[in-house]
Amino acid sequence: MAVILECKDLRFTYRQVPVLEHISFKVHSGRFCAILGRNGSGKTTLLHCLNNILTPDSGKVLVHGQDIADMGQNQIAQKISLVPQEHLDIFPYRVIDVVVMGRAPFLRLSQRPGPSDFKTARQALDFLNAGSLALKSFNQISGGERQICLLARAITQTKHLMLLDEPTNHLDFNNQYHLLSAIKSLCRSKGISIVATLHDPNMAALFADDLIMVKNNTIMEQGSAGETMTQKNISALYDIPLGIVKINEQKKLFFPESILSDPMNPTKTNAEEDKGDH
Amino acid sequence: MGRVFIRGTDLLTLVINFFSGNETAKDLLSRELVFWWIRVPRCLMAILVGSGLAISGAVYQALFRNPLVSPDILGVSAGCTFGAALGLVLPFDSFYLVHVMSFGFGLVAVSMSITLARMIAIKAVMILVLAGMVVLSFFNALLMILKYFSDPYEQLPSIIFWVMGSLSRVTWENVLVMAPFTLTGILLFILLGFRLNILSLGDIQARSLGLSPSFFRRLLIVTSSFMVAISVATCGQIAWIGLIIPHMARAIAGPEHERMIPMTALLGAIFLLAADTLARTVSSAEIPVGIITALTGAPIFGYLMIKNRGSGWL
Repeated sequence: MAVILECKDLRFTYRQVPVLEHISFKVHSGRFCAILGRNGSGKTTLLHCLNNILTPDSGKVLVHGQDIADMGQNQIAQKISLVPQEHLDIFPYRVIDVVVMGRAPFLRLSQRPGPSDFKTARQALDFLNAGSLALKSFNQISGGERQICLLARAITQTKHLMLLDEPTNHLDFNNQYHLLSAIKSLCRSKGISIVATLHDPNMAALFADDLIMVKNNTIMEQGSAGETMTQKNISALYDIPLGIVKINEQKKLFFPESILSDPMNPTKTNAEEDKGDH
Repeated sequence: MGRVFIRGTDLLTLVINFFSGNETAKDLLSRELVFWWIRVPRCLMAILVGSGLAISGAVYQALFRNPLVSPDILGVSAGCTFGAALGLVLPFDSFYLVHVMSFGFGLVAVSMSITLARMIAIKAVMILVLAGMVVLSFFNALLMILKYFSDPYEQLPSIIFWVMGSLSRVTWENVLVMAPFTLTGILLFILLGFRLNILSLGDIQARSLGLSPSFFRRLLIVTSSFMVAISVATCGQIAWIGLIIPHMARAIAGPEHERMIPMTALLGAIFLLAADTLARTVSSAEIPVGIITALTGAPIFGYLMIKNRGSGWL
């Protein structure tokens, strides 16, 4: 398997306070790599270092063997796309006009997207079963639909590497699985590599091929899902004793031990699960 | 229209004479002067200033991701007005001095805003707006000092007249100086329309789509501030155009800047031309056009806000 992205001893500080240190990992083509960690562990910062939104203090990020520090922002954008976490209100653009912005790195400075660009954008929406959104206003669709729309933009933008910042945020139960399945099928059918930050270790267990676990500003554990998704690792990552629910030989779910040991108290269960989601 | 009435047939004769090179008859001579040396440059200027101010407003709104900002917020207009007032108060009686001072202080004001924002250096966009307000208040205070110390019979009226904005002093020379800058600016913004869409998404998304936001923001702010400064230096403060015209254009052409920027330029030109025509025909004495734009602009803006509530741009 070809290495798409390589991160070498990355270090990032914010106002002299280290946020990330000694970060080294590789992402292979067509793999879904999930970054897990507690809130504020630096997951988003790491993601932003990978496409030069933030510049690391030291260390290298290589895409197809080329150092991104030597590439222009446009060149980077041709290879790496980002589905951001924030949903800030913008001017009420139509969905198709937001999706077609993914073509921007391939257009000359004064060029505007043409019919073929709109066709690509349309195909991306159709691929995600969201063709009906095309002419709606981006501001008036639901959070889940917006996330789908931004994913379509990322597909329009690159065939190589996609960074996703908590893609399942704001999504309902159904949409979370729908979106992650769509992302996974992108990996498999188009050979796109994915690096996504996720909140829910169970989601990572279901969908991710590889894991990067971030704790105390550095990588605590990394490797394939089978090796890393153990009770011991996840318990250490989230600082909580864990229990396991086995579904079958391969699949298992992780829950805080306190929940599993006290099944007679469903209200508590709900409260705890809510906490874990956000 | 205006104090000197020119009939349609006479107007036709004047235009034909101009292009055929014929001598104009004696009785038409004064009208010829009024037409070619006052009315035509004035109308051209209204078109330039109107489209320039409107399009700068549209660019500011995209850059600051805020539909409620206009070129005034970085203190450009306030700086220009102070510069002009200073030029009027100073003892050298020079028309050029007023223009140069006005233009210079306009640029000084923007530079102050940008420098102040850089020194604070967090949350770039928000701080830039706040820094602009600081600079704006500062120059308004300076203007008040000037007003207070100026001669109430000679200087104060001319300062106040300047603040209100008028196209009545326009000459061909003004038009020729201004046209290249304004037209270049308009062309640049039209060409960069699609990039403005991307910039309006905010820095993180702009970067992830391959755009360097800091470079573009600087380029666009400097260009549009330049356009505003040169307008204010020539015609005084003409309010509201930079704020309402982009909204009207957005309502007609949609929010995509490829389409709304040319529409903004067109509407701005028409609006100021109409306002200026009104300003010189409504009464025998001319009304400053700034009053007309403010008087019509404010209610239009109020109406647009009510009409577009819930559409997402507020």
